[in-house]
Amino acid sequence: MITVVLVDDHPVVTAGVRAWCGLADPPIRVVAHGANVSVAWLPPGDVADVVVLDLQLDVTGPAFGDLRRLVDAGRQVVVYSMRSDRETVLTSLDIGAFTYLTKSEGEEHLVAAIEAAAAGTPYTPPALSGAFGTDDRPHRPRLSPRESEVLLEWFHCESKEMVARRLHITVHRVNSCLERVRVKYANVGRAAPTKAALVARAIQDGLISTDEL
Amino acid sequence: MGAVERGLLRQGLRYALGLRIVVVGASSMASLLTPAPEPAVAVAVVVALNAWNVCYATLRLRAARRVRRWLVPVDVAVMCGVCLTQVRIVEPDPGGRVTWVLIAVQVTVVTYAWQLDWPALAAATVVIVAAQHVGAGSAGGWPVDRTIVLWTAVQPALSWALYRLVRRGARTADRVVERGERLRRAVAVAAARRADEREYLTALHDTAAATLLMVGSGVAARRESWLAEQAKRDLQEINASEVVAGGDVDLLELLHGVVAHTPLRVSWSAPESVRLPAADAMSLSRGAREALTNVVRHADTDRAELRVHRDGDAVTVQIIDEGRGFDPDQTSDHRYGVTRSLAERMARTGGSARIVSSPGRGTTVTMTCPLSVPELHGDDSGIIASSFQRALSWGVVVLSLAILLLLDLPRLLAGGYAYREVWPQFATWGVLLAVTLVAAGATWRNRSLGWWRWLLLVPVFGCSALATASVRPQYLLGPEHWSAGNAGWPAVLLLLDSRLATLILVLAAQYVMTFGQVATAEPAALSVAGVVNAVWDQLAIAMIAAVLRGLAVSSARAARAGELLRTSDEVARHLHADRRARYSGLATTTVPLLEGLACGILDPADDAVRRSCAAEAARMRRLFAEDTAASDPLAHELRACIESAEHHGVSVSFAAYGTRPELPPAARRRLTEPAIAALASARGEVRLTVAGTGDTVTVSVIADCPPVAPAPDADGVHRSIVQDGDRWWIQTTWRGER
Repeated sequence: MITVVLVDDHPVVTAGVRAWCGLADPPIRVVAHGANVSVAWLPPGDVADVVVLDLQLDVTGPAFGDLRRLVDAGRQVVVYSMRSDRETVLTSLDIGAFTYLTKSEGEEHLVAAIEAAAAGTPYTPPALSGAFGTDDRPHRPRLSPRESEVLLEWFHCESKEMVARRLHITVHRVNSCLERVRVKYANVGRAAPTKAALVARAIQDGLISTDEL
Repeated sequence: MGAVERGLLRQGLRYALGLRIVVVGASSMASLLTPAPEPAVAVAVVVALNAWNVCYATLRLRAARRVRRWLVPVDVAVMCGVCLTQVRIVEPDPGGRVTWVLIAVQVTVVTYAWQLDWPALAAATVVIVAAQHVGAGSAGGWPVDRTIVLWTAVQPALSWALYRLVRRGARTADRVVERGERLRRAVAVAAARRADEREYLTALHDTAAATLLMVGSGVAARRESWLAEQAKRDLQEINASEVVAGGDVDLLELLHGVVAHTPLRVSWSAPESVRLPAADAMSLSRGAREALTNVVRHADTDRAELRVHRDGDAVTVQIIDEGRGFDPDQTSDHRYGVTRSLAERMARTGGSARIVSSPGRGTTVTMTCPLSVPELHGDDSGIIASSFQRALSWGVVVLSLAILLLLDLPRLLAGGYAYREVWPQFATWGVLLAVTLVAAGATWRNRSLGWWRWLLLVPVFGCSALATASVRPQYLLGPEHWSAGNAGWPAVLLLLDSRLATLILVLAAQYVMTFGQVATAEPAALSVAGVVNAVWDQLAIAMIAAVLRGLAVSSARAARAGELLRTSDEVARHLHADRRARYSGLATTTVPLLEGLACGILDPADDAVRRSCAAEAARMRRLFAEDTAASDPLAHELRACIESAEHHGVSVSFAAYGTRPELPPAARRRLTEPAIAALASARGEVRLTVAGTGDTVTVSVIADCPPVAPAPDADGVHRSIVQDGDRWWIQTTWRGER
């Protein structure tokens, strides 16, 4: 069974996440939750497979420091935040968050993102896809035109079937494009154990070659 | 009047008064060492005049306006009195006819230029100089040197010109500084408004929007007490318009809130209230909460002590328990994690955290937060200093030229009998004029002379020695030896931007050389009054240069401090207005819903309540998306349509990413057309997204709506349509011509 520790200071969000996890098949167990990040460091939260982290825990701004320490300790962190601005999303990914969900995407994507994080397979929800697709920072990874196209279409329509139909490709191809982009992003920016694992696994699976990175 | 000019006026007055006290004091006291016609009267006059000078300076600075009005007439009368009695109190030196009274007259009228406006200055000068002339010539006194009398009258005019120039420099500096300040303030206000908007929206979304979202999606499907509590807290959050970001909050109030939520018995030791910037107070109170939580978890005790202490520049919060304690050297990673997170939290606001513990002895957590002192950068001091420097350079150029042309040249032309040979005099005069003009050129082009100044000093020194050598010994202390003091002026001009010590050293070298030559030729004739007369004005200029440099730094600091104050006022004003506007925007929509949930009137199980909660949550999410997207006409148009669609029960999820170029209006209309049409006729849920990637902009809408007709490309906009059952996906893309 997948175990999760939830760091969020909003009781309603906590209630929602617990409900979604309980309804997942197979169920996901929320082993601990709390309003600050110490729950992820203390038993029983310290051994949870996945950390779901709200970035905005106090008035001093996004908790990038907390995120960095969790990532450095090898934790799989799903950032689950009200923020949806591109800078925050991309910075979280640079630091080594496993994936980034805005709170409005929770209902659709949180359970799937937790499962993907536990399995170590890339997961790119639409908002993250939009942030990737419009990334114009100088150190962004090089994407093929097809990959950029898939990113933006997925952001626009939230349905992989429709993306596939529109671009005349298979859903499988859509997925592999998204995964490749995620791996390329894992390969740039700050070094982190979780990112390295993602890249290594993608190369092993033949999803991407070292030349493409 | 700007900070620099204000500073200049204040300092200028102070130094003018100081200069008068020192120079008059030094020359008059020194004169008491030499024989006087009536020594008793001389002593009385010297003491009385010096006492009056000190009194005058004090009253000028401190007294009320009413008293100050009478000061100058009284001062003029005193000086006239001294002038008229001078034959009884001083013995003029035989060559120079320079007495300490003349120096006192000169200093007094020269420093008037920094205190009076020009008509008063002119009047006072005429009266005093006339008294001096009459006094010196009366009783068949001494031969009067008309050049010196004239020169004494010209000096205040030159001093006044110098003052005007420096003051103009101060005004220029003020203008430049103010322009910089306006720009910086605009940037700071914009940044603060943006940051506040963002933090406010984020807070809003973490509270109100999340509550509404969960009610809307049916997670909280019953009336629950925690839901009501949360709705109450959300309302407080929304209505936080009075707490201005960057404003102060009471730390104690926050800590009481924290303590109320622990099961511990907490004993307090704290002042009534400690006001801190919001971020600092928040980080301390969150840290305290964490520490208290640790006591509950690990310390095995039910009591703790909380101490708050504020000293000059820091606030310290201590949480002390007498529980189990632990050995810091053998802490597990987890506990280390907690320790580290406390330290990190404090470090983020510039503070620190320390944990002292040993097994069986309890634990003390100490968190310290420095009271943030606004950073003062003196980067305007360079601007102000160079403005002063330039003005002062011009002043000294004018002064040097006036001295060379109006004072020295006539003396040189009239004094042919006094020189062994005339050509060294003309050569010296020419060289000094040339050096002055070179320095003037450098000032005009706003360039520093750099190492050239030392090279230029060599001819100045050389000529000065040459000119002195060519004067017949008996005239060495007479007006015919014009170069004795005045060769110092080019040196002052060249070294104006050097350090004061350097300038004084060079001047001293110049005088030692010249007066050394004089002393070997005519030792008896050298008088203190003569030396002071030659040097005081140059030293005064050197001092003014140094004072102005200091003034540049201090007025830059004053200007920046004023700027910080004005900026924070401006920021606070804007933020307050922004927050009020935002609250009034929510007052008719979100607030009634939250109030209903808080007091239990609205039932989360009711479909209508859930629907309006969901719609409200979506609306607030869109507010957030708007904030992140650059505000532009495209977003405005879409926002308006989303608003009206939501009134008709359509739930719109809106997201915008990327940077968008400015679009031609025709292209913009064509881009938004399908989205607007779809929003107007859609049912259920709509996803509306905008993406910008450098030179393309895409607007995409997915909705249950009547069939959409394809349209040909136009205005650089391409439209594509995909149908999926009842849902239509319409995308319009504009490509720039890059």
